[in-house]
Amino acid sequence: MTDRAAGSVRNIAWASYLRSYGLWVLAAVAIFALPHVFDSRANQSMFGQMGIFVVFALSYNMLLGQSGMLSFGHAVYFGFAGFISVHVMRIIESGFAFPVVLLPLFGAAAGLALGIIFGSFSTRRAGTVFAMISLGIAELVGALAFFIGFFGGEEGISGDRMSGPSLPGLSLGPQIQVYYVIAAWTLVAALLMYAITRTPLGRMANAVRDNPERAEFIGYNTQRVRFRMFALSGMFAGVAGALFAIQFEFLQFNNIGVAASGSVLLMTFIGGVGFFMGPILGAILVTFLELELVNVTQAWLLYFGLFFVLMVMFVPAGLAGLIMRHQPIWRAGILHKLAPAYGLALVPSLIFAVGAIGLIEIIYFTSTRAGLNTVMSVYTITFDAVKPLPWIIAGVVAAGGFVLCRLTFPTVRKVWDEVFLEAMAKLNR
Amino acid sequence: MELVVFSLLNGIVFGLLLFMMSAGLTLIFSMMGVLNFAHASFYMLGAYFAFQISQAVGFWPALVLAPLVVGVAGGLVERYGLRRVHKHGHVPELLFTFGLAFLIQEFVVLGWGRVGVPYRVPEILNFPLFTLFGTNFPAYRAFMVLISIGMFVALFAILTRTRVGLIVQASLTHPHIAATLGHNVPRVFMYVFAGGTALAGLAGVIGGNAFVTNPSMAALLGTIVFVVVIVGGLGSLTGAFIAAMVIGIVQTFSVALDVSVGSFFGLLGLDLSSNSIFYEYWTLTLTDIAPVTPYLLLVLILIFRPMGLMGKRET
Amino acid sequence: MNPPAAIHPPTAIQLTDVRKSFGRTEIIRGVSLEIRKGERHAIIGPNGGGKSTLFNLISGKFPVSHGTIKLNGEDVTNARPFEINRRGLSRSFQVTNIFPRLNVYENVRCSVLWSLGYKYSFWNDLNRLGDVKERTEEVLEQIGLTARRHIPAAVLSYAEQRALEIGITIAGGADVILFDEPTAGMSRGETEHAVNLIRTLSKDKTLVIVEHDMGVVFDLADRISVLVYGEILTTGAPEEVRANKAVQEAYLGVDA
Repeated sequence: MTDRAAGSVRNIAWASYLRSYGLWVLAAVAIFALPHVFDSRANQSMFGQMGIFVVFALSYNMLLGQSGMLSFGHAVYFGFAGFISVHVMRIIESGFAFPVVLLPLFGAAAGLALGIIFGSFSTRRAGTVFAMISLGIAELVGALAFFIGFFGGEEGISGDRMSGPSLPGLSLGPQIQVYYVIAAWTLVAALLMYAITRTPLGRMANAVRDNPERAEFIGYNTQRVRFRMFALSGMFAGVAGALFAIQFEFLQFNNIGVAASGSVLLMTFIGGVGFFMGPILGAILVTFLELELVNVTQAWLLYFGLFFVLMVMFVPAGLAGLIMRHQPIWRAGILHKLAPAYGLALVPSLIFAVGAIGLIEIIYFTSTRAGLNTVMSVYTITFDAVKPLPWIIAGVVAAGGFVLCRLTFPTVRKVWDEVFLEAMAKLNR
Repeated sequence: MELVVFSLLNGIVFGLLLFMMSAGLTLIFSMMGVLNFAHASFYMLGAYFAFQISQAVGFWPALVLAPLVVGVAGGLVERYGLRRVHKHGHVPELLFTFGLAFLIQEFVVLGWGRVGVPYRVPEILNFPLFTLFGTNFPAYRAFMVLISIGMFVALFAILTRTRVGLIVQASLTHPHIAATLGHNVPRVFMYVFAGGTALAGLAGVIGGNAFVTNPSMAALLGTIVFVVVIVGGLGSLTGAFIAAMVIGIVQTFSVALDVSVGSFFGLLGLDLSSNSIFYEYWTLTLTDIAPVTPYLLLVLILIFRPMGLMGKRET
Repeated sequence: MNPPAAIHPPTAIQLTDVRKSFGRTEIIRGVSLEIRKGERHAIIGPNGGGKSTLFNLISGKFPVSHGTIKLNGEDVTNARPFEINRRGLSRSFQVTNIFPRLNVYENVRCSVLWSLGYKYSFWNDLNRLGDVKERTEEVLEQIGLTARRHIPAAVLSYAEQRALEIGITIAGGADVILFDEPTAGMSRGETEHAVNLIRTLSKDKTLVIVEHDMGVVFDLADRISVLVYGEILTTGAPEEVRANKAVQEAYLGVDA
């Protein structure tokens, strides 16, 4: 290789570093500025929660996306570390001089320890057996948490994050301080997890996910690879659990149960398991929806379920996958050619959504209403829910939207394929 | 004595109900490789549909109609949902059924509200069949046993006497056989899924009024049915039957017997004072531990014998 | 006159009465075979004769039912595949066996890692490992896939996937290499290319190859073993095997 070629390789390496870590700088700036732009207490609390679940979902994707292990019990490590953290907080309260800001270290240790214990036998197999063992462990721990004192039973346990020694200017009283502590830990944890994807272990986890048999024939014990990824993933889940303890100062059996594990699976999958940024997107979006939809509609769990099932059916690569599919088109500079097609798809979809949501709201109202009140309002229109007219209108709108969707979607798909092929042709030239 | 007899009887009834659900799930799991998370949700749908239908035309038509409706719903789910996801691989399939379980629960809330519905045992069967040691055994429980046995006979006949049944049976142990025989595999899958969910629906019709009918009934039984299928072993209806009976009886017994862990040690002559560090564990009663045992069994079986009790292949 | 070592060069693989049964059927029925260091050894025989099964036993994919296998003098009977690989044996597969979602570069890089001692490290940045990079580039160059490095393995052409299969096999620098029908399904030109590749890559190494193409076999091999119904019919130099009456009847009959 000539010197010039070597130099250009070095330049490419630098450029790739900048490309892969430059985004991190941007993210750091956004993380810093965010709570000043949306500066209500509720928003700051929401951003904190997003950070916690970003760490949790990223740690989950170390299993699902990177190593091909589908776990139904990841909240076990998150929750266990959270409970440990609350207990440490209580010990701090009674005199142990340890800054609460560093609690995630305890969380990490707790998550790692439990990950090593449970991982030692559950990672012996991959696939369905692994998934079922994780479910069994989750149900087991979830049920135990109900009546073992350590978990505080039905009442849960609480601590006080303002106790113990505090760094100057960091009392952890104001929400904004809590936010910045969480943000700092989130950034550190995410960076570490990103770095792990670029190590021998991280890459071999991908190889074991893709083809465990071949991995054994190039010198790797697949069980050891899975086990190490599992333990590390437990550790980062532990960090998230400790952050949760700092933010809420309270944990309860349901933080460790199957539902909590299902929720991290949901956000990771919706975000997209194939890309590092997928779980980040998923955690942010799902946390936002969980917190905001509750205020908008009573039926939010239903919308949530619908959203998830539709994603699994039509966008199995998740949001990140969806975005990345546009990358070649964007690089070819012909993204604008998709605009008319997307516009065409959007209008009937919106009509359908408006109708369907209206219908669901009316049904929901009539089936769960208390007392004799039959007057409700959807889209700021107030009407009597037992009269047939609102039902008919919503039904007709939904049906019309559905028919329009069926009519327009094939065209949209065709346009998409054409634009994609054009982009590929341009790039390969 | 009274406790033992009644616990045994109730355990058998519960075990049969579990088997009715797990029979369908075993068929689906063994043939299609899909662990259907939403299986217990079809049990719930069976109960709710039966409630609705029996409001209109009474229990007896509901006994026939509700499982059919559930079966049709299951077939539609397979045809328009699962089949679509199938090409993306196992994980999306599993996640689809996971989401579906969630969705069905919310649909039930949407249709019937968050609290349960008063789905009751039909008047004609609402009498004590016999009285033993002063406790009544309800006739409806006996009816459940009858229905279960009738279902097993029918299932057995279908599996051994019909063409589709033979294909299904063959592909339980050799999943690729249906394809190599040139059968329309997707259609066989759809029938199996519809049939399996209809069985779960039937279990819901006769179980919903004996126990409860509310939106959390699926989540409550969902994992237990999983445990039965995995402990019983892939491809083995016999294994599922044994596992269902064992878990049914053990669960019923441990709920009925209110004994604490510590009292066992007391029998051994160990006296545990209340200031012992493990005191809280000694005071745990069997009732507390009961919900945990199936999951413990699941984890242990998967670690030490992943093919289950009677399985012919590994999970 | 000659020291004994020159008459009997050290053995790379030694099989002693190896047997393998699946259920009641015995597929390998007492194979004893000695493969010398540095030789190119071909195993031929009719379909179902047990050639691939023998490879699977040597490389640790299946446990043997009976007998012992030694690699470079060490007993590796029933060792796990990764243990055997770490002792210097690598194999390819008849049906392409690569990491489909990783790109060509990563496929090769993964195959290099263990041999360079990086094990399960989660503290080394892959992109900063000079030796890994150098070795990966070298292999890519050898198998002619340098220009295709960013393509996911799953979307390569068949011939490219076969080349990658060979690359993954040799990347770790094993000194005993097993090739299971490396030219299966290739055109004449591709076969020729692959054979040249194998010849270059296996220089100074022990090579065991299962192959159906007799042209390739007689061109490449120093010695040939004929495996028929789980038993070695004969072992010898190509011309001896070609002349062997029993072999002609059992196998070569069509060609000879």
